Amino acid sequence: MNVLLRTFVPRRFRFETQLALRHLLSGGGQTVLTVSAVAAGVIIVIFITSLIFGLQDRLTELLTDAIPHVTITVEEPEPRPLARITDGSELSSSRIEQQAPQLKFIDNWPHVVETVRALPNVRAVAPVVSGQAFVSKGANPIGTAVVGADPDLQNVITPVTKDLISGKYLGLRSDEIVIDAELAEDLDVTTGERIRVTSGTNASDSFTVAGIYSRGQGRGSAYVTLRTGQSLFGYGTSVNVVYVKLINIYEADSVADRIMALLPYEAKSWTREFPQFLSSLQVQTASAYLISAFSLIASGFAIAAVLIVSVLQKSKQIGILKSMGTRRRQILRVFILEGLGVAIVGSLLGLVVGVTIVLLLSLFDQPVTRIGQTPEQLFPVRILPFYLGLAMIAAIISTVVAAVLPARRAAKMNPVDVMR
Amino acid sequence: MTSASFITSDEETRMNKGLPPVVVETRSLRKTYFGKIDVPVLFGVDFRIRKEEFVAIVGQSGSGKSTLLNLLGALDTPTGGTVIINGVDISTLDEDELAYFRSDQVGFIFQFHYLLDEFSCLENALLPITIRHGDASEEDQARVIELLRRVGLGSRIHHRPEEMSGGENQRCAIVRALANAPKIVLADEPTGNLDSRSGQEVFRLMREMNRESGVAFVMITHDDRLAQAADRILLIEDGLVHEISKEEHRKRVASLVP
Repeated sequence: MNVLLRTFVPRRFRFETQLALRHLLSGGGQTVLTVSAVAAGVIIVIFITSLIFGLQDRLTELLTDAIPHVTITVEEPEPRPLARITDGSELSSSRIEQQAPQLKFIDNWPHVVETVRALPNVRAVAPVVSGQAFVSKGANPIGTAVVGADPDLQNVITPVTKDLISGKYLGLRSDEIVIDAELAEDLDVTTGERIRVTSGTNASDSFTVAGIYSRGQGRGSAYVTLRTGQSLFGYGTSVNVVYVKLINIYEADSVADRIMALLPYEAKSWTREFPQFLSSLQVQTASAYLISAFSLIASGFAIAAVLIVSVLQKSKQIGILKSMGTRRRQILRVFILEGLGVAIVGSLLGLVVGVTIVLLLSLFDQPVTRIGQTPEQLFPVRILPFYLGLAMIAAIISTVVAAVLPARRAAKMNPVDVMR
Repeated sequence: MTSASFITSDEETRMNKGLPPVVVETRSLRKTYFGKIDVPVLFGVDFRIRKEEFVAIVGQSGSGKSTLLNLLGALDTPTGGTVIINGVDISTLDEDELAYFRSDQVGFIFQFHYLLDEFSCLENALLPITIRHGDASEEDQARVIELLRRVGLGSRIHHRPEEMSGGENQRCAIVRALANAPKIVLADEPTGNLDSRSGQEVFRLMREMNRESGVAFVMITHDDRLAQAADRILLIEDGLVHEISKEEHRKRVASLVP
């Protein structure tokens, strides 16, 4: 111990460091209590942040996994009042009518794909024809969304293969279709059977069900090849939408902005399409920080209380030290160093215990509720090194702050008063 | 009782060649405790203590003996008058300078040893040095270990206070008071908490240290035999200090015996 002290502590602080260490080592229950209070604070912070940020990651992943991160479409023409397009000589009143749906062609989509693919952070670009259609087998047509796209590209945008419960998606032929399990149930079809698809433009064709998938999120789209989609919806060689998948989903806004700057099309990021989702994430983040702050404040108060008792118990010792020439700031340092010692040991202990708890929690799995589902974690915890570090630093700061008051009290003690 | 003088201790010392230098001098020293009721304790105390002297302070309980000692040791500030230690008027010093001054010039021994439980006997005895310098040099350690041997604690240097007897702890406290080679040691009933044999042993050691190193000792005591063994006896009575002869002290003690 003394060797360590001589090696690491500058000479002028050795007395204070040594006394603080001895206080802690001989403190028994009090030291255990304060160290536990710090550890408890750190454990709560680690637990809360791992759970909430883990949950957020999971939710974001679930949401963004199956959707394009940026969607490129033709800009909706702004409705203009009549007064603006006439010369104003005639009195005119105008009412903006709801626009009728129109076919919006992206004719030069190869150029769009090429331009977007050259941008950084882009994982995949898929030109797509998407539209509404009726699907039927015999009687009762059922409405569904149809996505016509190259399976290899579309599978990156929305991982269909992963969710397949039978059949295939990759290698889809022009007369084949992949449908959602719910739709398959409603139509009472299985893979290999044929169904009829009729589009809004009244083009109709029959398809073999090549695959059935289940995503567990309500009814999903039906998938056909790009060529099939184009002829089904009458797009010729055009598409109506280009989907973009990114590497970093949180940069969707800036990628969308760049696309808008480069191309004469509308580009929407997923964050703009789900603003309420993002705001709920922010509320969760704020509550995680609040709970963390309160738990650290609570442990700070506990530490301050124990340290004040320990200062009072040591008042005679403080008196004799002062009579021997110990200066105020030396006494102050002793008790702040004690707080620092408690903080370091406590936060390390909290780190070990907190991470262990989180790791144990991550072992629990949810019961499987749908067919073909791989079991998922009950607690989607994430151990985030940044928040581990933050928890430790915050705990150390709050503990040292809590130690200041008792330390000042000790430093102010008058030897004549305390040694009577 | 020495009358107030306006020449400094140094000049006086030079004038009185042959006598050891004055290490402590008080001039019209007054102390009143202010509170709901103001309690005047010392009304103007003048005396000098020279190097090599061993002075006993006697007086009834509450007469202000401890107050006087705290003032001499710069632990407390006077209401009026001055304390000059080794030529320095301590009322001119700020709190940090006083702390420095105490660690340099003054050693304290209290009725209770007040050793730190967390430190060994040697570490406790070295405290005045470690407080001042951060840690103790090899020479300091050797010197203090030698002192501990001298007071019979050679085999106890690594023991903690709780592992030693009251007398041993008090002997360790004596070594601690001397560790920084102070000019004066102030002892407030150093034997008051010990059985008579340990008390005598502690006193004998203090006297020995006083003779060998020449450091002046001021000792408050209720033990009349110890007072008799000092060089001088100062009596505090009615807020004033009177120097009394040993003969006078004996008479006063005898008059109390029925």
